[in-house]
Amino acid sequence: MAFEPVLTRNVGQPEARTVAGYKKRGGYAGLAQALKMQPDEVTDAVKASGLRGRGGAGFPTGMKWSFIPKDPDKPKYLVCNADESEPGTFKDRLLMEHDPHQLIEGCAICCYAVGAATCYIYIRGEYTAALATMEQAIRDAYDNGILGRSVMGSGFSLDLFMHAGAGAYICGEETGMLESLEGKRGQPRVKPPFPAIIGAFGAPTVINNVETLANVPHILERGADWFKSIGTDERNTGPKLYAISGHVERPGTYEYPIGVPFRTLLDGCGGVWRGRSLKAYIPGGASAAILPGEQFLDLPMDFDSVAKAGSMLGSAAVMVMDETTCLVRAVARLSKFFNHESCGQCTPCREGTNWMELLLTRIEKGQGREQDAALLSNICTHIAGNSLCALGDAAVGPVKSLVETFLEEIDEHVRLGHCPLPPQPVFEGASH
Amino acid sequence: MSERESRRPTPVVGSPVGGVGTSDGYGEPWPAQSPGVPVLDEASRRRVEELVGRYPDKRAALIPVLHIAQRRCGGWLPDYAIAEVAAALELTPADVYGVVTFYDLFHQKPVGRHRIRVCTNLSCQLRGSDEVMAVLRQELGVDEGDVTPDGRCSYVHFECLGSCDTAPMMMIDDTYHENLTPERVREIVKGLT
Amino acid sequence: MPKVTIDDRTIEVERGTNLVDAATEAGVQIPHYCYHPRLSVVGQCRMCLVQIDGMPKLQAGCSTQVMKDGMVVRTDSPEVREAQKGMMEFFLINHPLDCPICDQAGECGLQDYAFKHGQAFSRFQYEDKRTYPGRERIPLGPNVVLNMNRCIQCTRCVRFTREVSQTGELGFFNRGARTEIGTFPGKPLDGPLASNVVDICPVGALTSTRFRFAERVWYLDKRPSLCTGCDVGCNVTLEHRRGQIRRYKPRANPEVNDFWMCDYGRSSFERYYELPRLAAPRVRRDDRVVPASWSHALEAVHQALAGGGRTAILGSGNLTTEEAWLLARLAEAAGPAAGTQAGETPAVELPLAVEQGPRWTIPNPSGGITGSGDTTPNRRGAELAGFSTAAAEGLLTGTATGYDVLFVADSDFGSPAHDEAAVERLRGTARFLVVMGWAETPLARAADVVLPVATHAEREGTFVNVEHRLQRFETAFPPPAQVRPATDALTDLLAFWDEGWRGARVADVFARMAAAVPALAGIEFEELPAQGVALATGGAVGAGAGPSGGSATVHTAEPPAGA
Repeated sequence: MAFEPVLTRNVGQPEARTVAGYKKRGGYAGLAQALKMQPDEVTDAVKASGLRGRGGAGFPTGMKWSFIPKDPDKPKYLVCNADESEPGTFKDRLLMEHDPHQLIEGCAICCYAVGAATCYIYIRGEYTAALATMEQAIRDAYDNGILGRSVMGSGFSLDLFMHAGAGAYICGEETGMLESLEGKRGQPRVKPPFPAIIGAFGAPTVINNVETLANVPHILERGADWFKSIGTDERNTGPKLYAISGHVERPGTYEYPIGVPFRTLLDGCGGVWRGRSLKAYIPGGASAAILPGEQFLDLPMDFDSVAKAGSMLGSAAVMVMDETTCLVRAVARLSKFFNHESCGQCTPCREGTNWMELLLTRIEKGQGREQDAALLSNICTHIAGNSLCALGDAAVGPVKSLVETFLEEIDEHVRLGHCPLPPQPVFEGASH
Repeated sequence: MSERESRRPTPVVGSPVGGVGTSDGYGEPWPAQSPGVPVLDEASRRRVEELVGRYPDKRAALIPVLHIAQRRCGGWLPDYAIAEVAAALELTPADVYGVVTFYDLFHQKPVGRHRIRVCTNLSCQLRGSDEVMAVLRQELGVDEGDVTPDGRCSYVHFECLGSCDTAPMMMIDDTYHENLTPERVREIVKGLT
Repeated sequence: MPKVTIDDRTIEVERGTNLVDAATEAGVQIPHYCYHPRLSVVGQCRMCLVQIDGMPKLQAGCSTQVMKDGMVVRTDSPEVREAQKGMMEFFLINHPLDCPICDQAGECGLQDYAFKHGQAFSRFQYEDKRTYPGRERIPLGPNVVLNMNRCIQCTRCVRFTREVSQTGELGFFNRGARTEIGTFPGKPLDGPLASNVVDICPVGALTSTRFRFAERVWYLDKRPSLCTGCDVGCNVTLEHRRGQIRRYKPRANPEVNDFWMCDYGRSSFERYYELPRLAAPRVRRDDRVVPASWSHALEAVHQALAGGGRTAILGSGNLTTEEAWLLARLAEAAGPAAGTQAGETPAVELPLAVEQGPRWTIPNPSGGITGSGDTTPNRRGAELAGFSTAAAEGLLTGTATGYDVLFVADSDFGSPAHDEAAVERLRGTARFLVVMGWAETPLARAADVVLPVATHAEREGTFVNVEHRLQRFETAFPPPAQVRPATDALTDLLAFWDEGWRGARVADVFARMAAAVPALAGIEFEELPAQGVALATGGAVGAGAGPSGGSATVHTAEPPAGA
């Protein structure tokens, strides 16, 4: 059975960026359907679909919506997380640049379901093109009665604004994002209270990722059963965007039913580049544990299977590394990233990520000591679970897998006194 | 199972309307930085008012307003600009300074007319971003973070810019330049005025 | 109230109490840096991690509240100990290990917890410590110095300026491992409450310009006292070394100054070292004033007062309530209409001199307390004893003259005591001038008899603050050899009339005063609660209207880490 792309069906179709063109291609049918239903029924449909958050944590979306208090007096907000900053992830940018109305439609349905009259799309400040496309689409949506006082003539009123960040990975953490939205440093908040109770501006707030919301119109239009028919099992349903990068022939965003084996992904993008062999891959962005390639070639790429393999699907950012890659160098680079992005408020993350970067850089330079691997592992223990937000755990992910799965690479650096796989020029002698 | 891939087509580069935070109302970048002249001119003040109206709390407009102020000051935020924004939003300057220094896109020292940000995170590193940095060093003759003597360019390495499928890549001002090679980098830099 | 079990101790706490406070109530110390009972809870330092039954991960005690019965908490499990060890290591890898030259040594949260929860060796051996070149000695304002190398990023100071003083001078700058605190150029930390950030800084990052490197804190003796800078009546810990006061630090009293005090008050003790001191009694003999024994000097005062002439006793807001009340008894004894009943206006005049200055506001849980502008702490106590500011006007302006005896009870009562012309005017109002006090002033030099008495730190007694709260303070150290507490001198003087006064202690004086003054009825000196007693103002205290502050619990939630 051929899989028809769902989320990316409008990619490469410029007409979809206007309300008229999007409608012509079948758009806004999901919103029209939702507005005919009771808000609770919409939430129930999303619940029934089994949709899980596509931002990284995989939390059931319908359940998240149902946490919002029903009290009609309170203002409620939807904040769409478009702060796509996880290294290796670029799928949300694609959705916003090519199919802005799909996201607007998803936002509108969510707001209707939870009773929010205002939605902010928090987009990372670097995504200038996506921002411009979205703003144009939003204006168009206001002009065509999709947004504003009466959404599609239903009497339901909705305002939607873009809100650009200014370059901070931590603003992808939901409470860090709320702080940033409120004009503060993006320092995550202590939880509880959770955003569903006290979120943006002290009000109940739903926070969903771009891809998550992009799924919603299709669930409403085609039904929860159709959605559930796609995927591995009832816990891993629907279409999924896989962002594949690194040492492959054709990196890109690929849409598959969730749970497609890694081998299919790899084959789909032309395999490992330059005829080299696969060494390892990261299945879910910089925070995920690195998996040895050959051993996990047939791993189904869904939330539960990847977790069982000791890593995580996260945002499904698949980074492929060939046989020439030094994993100490790769992990040192990721540690540098987490050290740079740590917000600095909590001790284990501020000091621990810094220490890990220094240690890994020293090992990579060939100045490692025998006890360094054990020290790294112990630092991981002290950070994991003890930091204020998930960034600490994220920083530990790749380091822990290096120490546990690829220990011999560290040992070899220490034994040799230099890197056994120094970086090779990418461009020299390569045919382009 | 024969899945159909839908690969991302041509990247959207240099889209019709650019500009962080808004697609209008920034006004021209304001290269003359002299204290005493308001950073926010009348057009940007109107824009600030419109932005403030979007939120239940005035302060929420801070980051978008800082983007405007930075544009007006030629790409960075001198102390007097921070003080002016703080006053406009009824915040303390220390508070605003804390926000400015938190975010990578705000700068506290002068930058080049063109700001080059090279993604060097893992996916780009695997595909040659180190070589891109080396070419920039060679072409511009200044260290990372410094401005060329003619004030034309400054370049820095940057964390993931969300364009791993077109690695290596760099962002110049508001535009993504993707699938870079050393030759292409040289060509692009030479074209900057 | 829900029950919570902390390390096998089960207690009831108010719903919503966080675990750090609940543990303190149960007698268990949970280490913490960023948490402060008066600042927002940020859960940043991660030092207060505890284990809670049913929770997979350790939880921050400061941000976990007791909401319902049955929470079981462990603060000493192997997991918690391991986490504490890990946090201490994280704090110390980038912190200078130079305690011997750090001014915070001896009262440092890092030292204390490193000793208790840390380890004796470092695993951070091959990396360079993070430093902030050029940021080791940054004056943030006139009274506070920052050494960024010592900062542990707990943000207590930043939150203080935002939430308590609401001045917002301090900010948290940069990100991650480079995070630092500071001020914006041109906006120094110079508010009246600035130095409180030094107190709440758990480490040596923020130090006081005046105090830093002036003294090793382990040499200091600490006594509970009251600030004398104004009539707010901030509770302070008076810290001295062998009778030299080194600093005042606020002592928590939620009814008055909470955890705070103003910078003006902090430096108010410096007056004791700015003016020369009266060292021994003096008596005029012919044209000269010569040193005399106490008995000789008191005899001279007795003779003057017993003459039955027109007498005025000029009080000041620096007097304790007991001193003021004894002076009123003296007026009674000396008055021509002998047998005046206690509480009635005595025949001898009791004018009160109080000067006005800035009005200081100290934040507290009920919103804050603002001084009336008095530059002295106890105008209301003196008024309770019978003194009156209205009566002072004629005396100080020189319109009232013709006194036989003028007894000035405070040689430093105000600016006229230092002004030669004013002193001459005062001197001219009376035939015989008695000056009591600690400071050598032009006024003291003009006196016929000088009685050298204790400074604030050398005496005990009570003050009544601007909100009519009666507070007690203790003797910090004894006065010099020839100097006596004013209460001692006055009871000895009163013994000339009534032998029963001889040897009366301050507590005895207070008891007699409480029996006579309706507002003080039922209050016992020794039993005065730590946060004082709110006095009924205006009319007499009824039988049912007991001291309102007396039933409140003593606040003990003082954070151990430098607060």
